[in-house]
Amino acid sequence: MILIFASVTLRTQFAKPLFCTLLIISQFCVAAQVSTDLDSLRTRQLEEVIVTATRNERTMGSLPMPVFLVPKAQIKTMGSLRLNDVLTEQTGLVVVPQVNGQGSGIQLQGFNPDYTLILIDGEPIIGRYTGSLELSRIAIGNIKQIEIVKGPSSSLYGSDALAGVINIITDRSQPGTNGNFSSRYGTNKTLDLSGDVSVTKDKLGIYLFGNRYSTDGYDLSPENFGKTVSPFTNQTFNSKITYKVGPKTDFSLAGRYFKEYQRFNFEVTSSNEQIKTSGTGEVKDWNINPVFTHRFSTKLKVIARFYTTHYQTETNLSLDNDGSPYYHDDFEQTFTRPELNGEYFINSKNIITLGAGHVGETVKTSRYGDENGRNQWTNYAFFQYEWLPMDKFTLVSGGRFDSNSSYGSQFSPKLSARYEVNKRITLKASTGVGFKSPDFRQLYFNFSNSAAGGYSVLGTEIVQPRLAELEAQGQIQSYLFDPTLIGELQAERSVAVNVGGKIEILPSLTMEVNGFYNSINNLIETQAVAITTAGQSIYTYRNVNRAYTSGLETNVSYPFARNFTLSAGYQLLYAKDKDVVQDVKDGNVYYRDPNTLVTKRLQPNEYYGLYNRSRHTGNIKLFYRHPVTKWEASARIIYRGKYGVGDIRGNIQGETIPPSDRNSNSILDVYDDFVKGYALVNLSVAKSLNCGLRFQVGVDNLFNYTEPIYIPNLPGRLMYGSVSYNFSKNNVKP
Amino acid sequence: MTMNSIKSLLSIGLLATMAVIFTACKDDSPAPDPVIATTTTDLAADPGTGIDPNNGQPTGITNKFTLFSFKTGEVVLNADSATTKWDVGFRRTTIIVNGGTSGSGAAGAIVKSGLFDEILEAPADGYAVDDKNSTTSKYAIPTGSGNGWYTYDGGAQVIKPTAGKVLIFKTADNRYAKVEILSYYQGAKTNPVNTDVAGYYTFRYVYQPNDSKSFN
Repeated sequence: MILIFASVTLRTQFAKPLFCTLLIISQFCVAAQVSTDLDSLRTRQLEEVIVTATRNERTMGSLPMPVFLVPKAQIKTMGSLRLNDVLTEQTGLVVVPQVNGQGSGIQLQGFNPDYTLILIDGEPIIGRYTGSLELSRIAIGNIKQIEIVKGPSSSLYGSDALAGVINIITDRSQPGTNGNFSSRYGTNKTLDLSGDVSVTKDKLGIYLFGNRYSTDGYDLSPENFGKTVSPFTNQTFNSKITYKVGPKTDFSLAGRYFKEYQRFNFEVTSSNEQIKTSGTGEVKDWNINPVFTHRFSTKLKVIARFYTTHYQTETNLSLDNDGSPYYHDDFEQTFTRPELNGEYFINSKNIITLGAGHVGETVKTSRYGDENGRNQWTNYAFFQYEWLPMDKFTLVSGGRFDSNSSYGSQFSPKLSARYEVNKRITLKASTGVGFKSPDFRQLYFNFSNSAAGGYSVLGTEIVQPRLAELEAQGQIQSYLFDPTLIGELQAERSVAVNVGGKIEILPSLTMEVNGFYNSINNLIETQAVAITTAGQSIYTYRNVNRAYTSGLETNVSYPFARNFTLSAGYQLLYAKDKDVVQDVKDGNVYYRDPNTLVTKRLQPNEYYGLYNRSRHTGNIKLFYRHPVTKWEASARIIYRGKYGVGDIRGNIQGETIPPSDRNSNSILDVYDDFVKGYALVNLSVAKSLNCGLRFQVGVDNLFNYTEPIYIPNLPGRLMYGSVSYNFSKNNVKP
Repeated sequence: MTMNSIKSLLSIGLLATMAVIFTACKDDSPAPDPVIATTTTDLAADPGTGIDPNNGQPTGITNKFTLFSFKTGEVVLNADSATTKWDVGFRRTTIIVNGGTSGSGAAGAIVKSGLFDEILEAPADGYAVDDKNSTTSKYAIPTGSGNGWYTYDGGAQVIKPTAGKVLIFKTADNRYAKVEILSYYQGAKTNPVNTDVAGYYTFRYVYQPNDSKSFN
């Protein structure tokens, strides 16, 4: 039935009277509901509640750190399907391809995707197989809201929360029986089927969500063998069961299952020969998350939670000519975490949060050279003190201590304050420490990439014995770096300051501003350590760089007319390697003009900064929403300014990616080549009927902007149409 | 005056900015010779004849170093490899000096950061020699991207002489020379691409023919 809906929508124009008759759904229309939109409009006028910033439910306005919220209604109007679709349109978030040019991760305050913690209902998503997390794994049909906290949050969440935290809050069961089914079809034969059912009876609530997404992929460079993104299909199932154990005790059990399957073709270079291969890729993840909440009194709430999750991926390639296996790669990760935390209201002005937990992690992968799992554990405890001496002033302080089996211990404090100068101006400031522990691949890799030229990567735990072994076998041609200087990896650390506030320029015209400075130490980089007699490089990892990211973010929102909201966001970003800045200042960095071959000294104002960071990014969005006629529309322009590209070893289609550097100094300066800035225009229109039906059409990337070499994860123009049906009955009046 | 030591092999338009600098003479010392910046173009460093389409390996390579003398500014025959007639040798990206385990001379090298024109004097010591038994660097000028004179750009798949790297040589017979490598591709291509013909050095140098460390 859903399929029929989809095909009908595609061929039908928006003609209101046509729908109900065409689809013979009058029986649904009889049971027409009271406008849910009016309800949601009412809730929106209440203060929005966010949990990520303090681990407790707090109203947005009372929080002293930069927090942002993307509500479900907005996600629906935008017509987004996957997490990356939503995040790419938020100010200060840039969706960037992963190492191999495929997939997408999020860059926040100029940090690479590895440095933002991504949570579902407060629990981390794992599977950072190449460092960054693949955002398209997350379907968003069951999302209530997305909370974004900027600035380091290691004081509450531990490792990986240097740049910030993105927490996806999922739906739970609503009173009565509710359901929603939707189907969407669009360019590249992309079909998305989604459904959820929620039943609440007495003390028991059940929420189930299912999604199937399939696409034919796309090909930005048809002259190459294989597609840029090959066809794939995935399924997501989520469930959340809530049970009121007693008047003071709640229990919830959440679970997720995800599976993706992809078939692809590509050409590999083996001893300078181009070989056609076919392959399959499979990704699976699941998690289980039981949570007990008990209120001992109105003052004390204790939460006991357990989370276990498993991620697994496997890639196989075989040669097209004889079908023989050519390459195999697998990766399996488990993460288990029990945690206990409590929130204690001493009185209305003093709140204390305490927590402690244990994390156990195991990774098993073909890339470690054997079938043994590698384990790591962390014990941690955190505290937070919220002081609210008056309505105008909030102070939040806290810290977390992490003790890890392989990289020692870390203490991450944080202090934030908010002051309401007057009704129109609120100031916020926060400072804190963030860290990221060395990941498994940096410690244990024992990997030769036969699919990409045969280079090897050895983790720091095994690099010395492996090199000694290779040396004994006479396989080392020369050393590029003294291997005895490779020590144990230290956690990467940042210290950050965020200062900003909210100003009401006109009634209902508000502007939010946040200036940030992140000082990062001990950045882990790859280090070429030796060359084999076969001429192949061996890499390992080393703490080397010091860097900073600094900038300013502003958001303006203006409901300029009834039902219309215009918003604009902008981020200015400077991200630089501190050692390079110092070297340039000392006059030790040079560039050779590629046309005249004359070498000159680089001046401080000529150093542009780190690769892959745009100095300017921004967006302009117009939303229309009519609560009575239930028309919704949006027009969004997303801009990313020019940026530089480092030395990337080709993309998955084997194309060389010319790096920015064109004057032989391996750093990005103003004379280098940049990837051009671009703007994407996305449009959507939707109409809901009282009978629960909703129709939507839209187009993303209206002007079909593509950049096959540098931005392979950006498909061209995508048009889509969708239809959904929403029902609810036996609603208990609140 | 030893004008025969100042020999320009080829003159090239933009590159031949001849920095002819005369130093002031002191009465009590012999008049120092003026030194001159010379540019050598397209010195073939065993580039081979092409690529075998069947196995992708370079064809026609000899694996012999092209030997060069700063004094004459000319290539020295391989037959003279056991003599001190040559100072440095080039074989694709590897550079040897006539000293240590590579030759019978006294040659050594220092890789120095700086601008060619600003380096006015050769350092007194610190000259590395080739040592084929070393586990860290077998050559006075370390091989590998970013270690010696070049950076390999894996994205574009080209060899780029690192900007601001100047090679200071002690020659086979204890004289000094400074060298800046400008290009590794035939014709000193600006913005080379990986299809350009590699293995051809273009470099400029200053040779001090007298017993002096001065490059003035």
